[in-house]
Amino acid sequence: MSLTARYLESNGIPTVIMGCACDIVEHAGVARFLFSDFPLGNSCGKPGDLASQRGLVAMALDLLETAGAPRTTVQSPYSWAVDPSWKDDFYRLDLTPEQISKAREEFDSQKAILKEKLETTRD
Amino acid sequence: MNVEQAGKTIEAALDLPIRYIDRSRAYYLALRYDNPYRWAHNQDVPFTSLGKPLTRSRVGLITTAAPFKPDAGHQGPWAPYNAAAKFTEVYSMPIEPAPDLRISHLGYDRKHTSAEDINTYFPLQRLKGAAAEGRIGELNSRFYGVPTLRSQRLTTQRDAPQILELCREDGIDAAILVPT
Repeated sequence: MSLTARYLESNGIPTVIMGCACDIVEHAGVARFLFSDFPLGNSCGKPGDLASQRGLVAMALDLLETAGAPRTTVQSPYSWAVDPSWKDDFYRLDLTPEQISKAREEFDSQKAILKEKLETTRD
Repeated sequence: MNVEQAGKTIEAALDLPIRYIDRSRAYYLALRYDNPYRWAHNQDVPFTSLGKPLTRSRVGLITTAAPFKPDAGHQGPWAPYNAAAKFTEVYSMPIEPAPDLRISHLGYDRKHTSAEDINTYFPLQRLKGAAAEGRIGELNSRFYGVPTLRSQRLTTQRDAPQILELCREDGIDAAILVPT
């Protein structure tokens, strides 16, 4: 998505990205970024929480107007949970050999599905 | 003190943003894949200022979420990663009636994200609210979807130009992009 935003910016269309992966978006380099320190999948607010959903859209719109230079990142004031231990769980490394085999199997089968889809598209 | 002891990551210990690039590299190396994904990296960043006040601008919404496909398996809340639900080309759809979009084809946090509330990954209703309140001139009558195919070449050479063309066709003044 960062690459698409960059392409639009180079062609005269201002953009703002709403996202949860700060390092990935900033590494790609974008004009405006509203960062939420939430688990991936919640770029626009917390489930069932109108306040954060409205607040984040308002902040993204503000950013379109106020950013004066590229790489403007604003971090949202909303917190996912008082306890940050959810940050331990994504891509955990303390895997047993059985978990590693299962994860590999799953990854390979999903990759094969995607490969097949792409080949079908090109036909 | 070693804060990474006992399975505790430094991000959880100190409440830092997760370093996804480091974490995904380490994860796939632990799975014994030896070619970790190389995330896009750029020094120069293009920037365009808003050409007119937001209250008079037409705003477009761009997503990586996918229209629900009845024949593509589990795409509901707590669905496992589902590559069969991926789309492979740029699409556009009207904002009315509100679309049924899902994210089961994307690599989000399967333990803490339920994906049960579309408004957490597709802010259409909230943007309609902003338009109704006059915060933006108008919301474009259709939104666009960008595929996520682990190919920076496809994104920059094929998909992004198509998105630009759609934006120009619709006279979009500014765009909100939401990756998952």
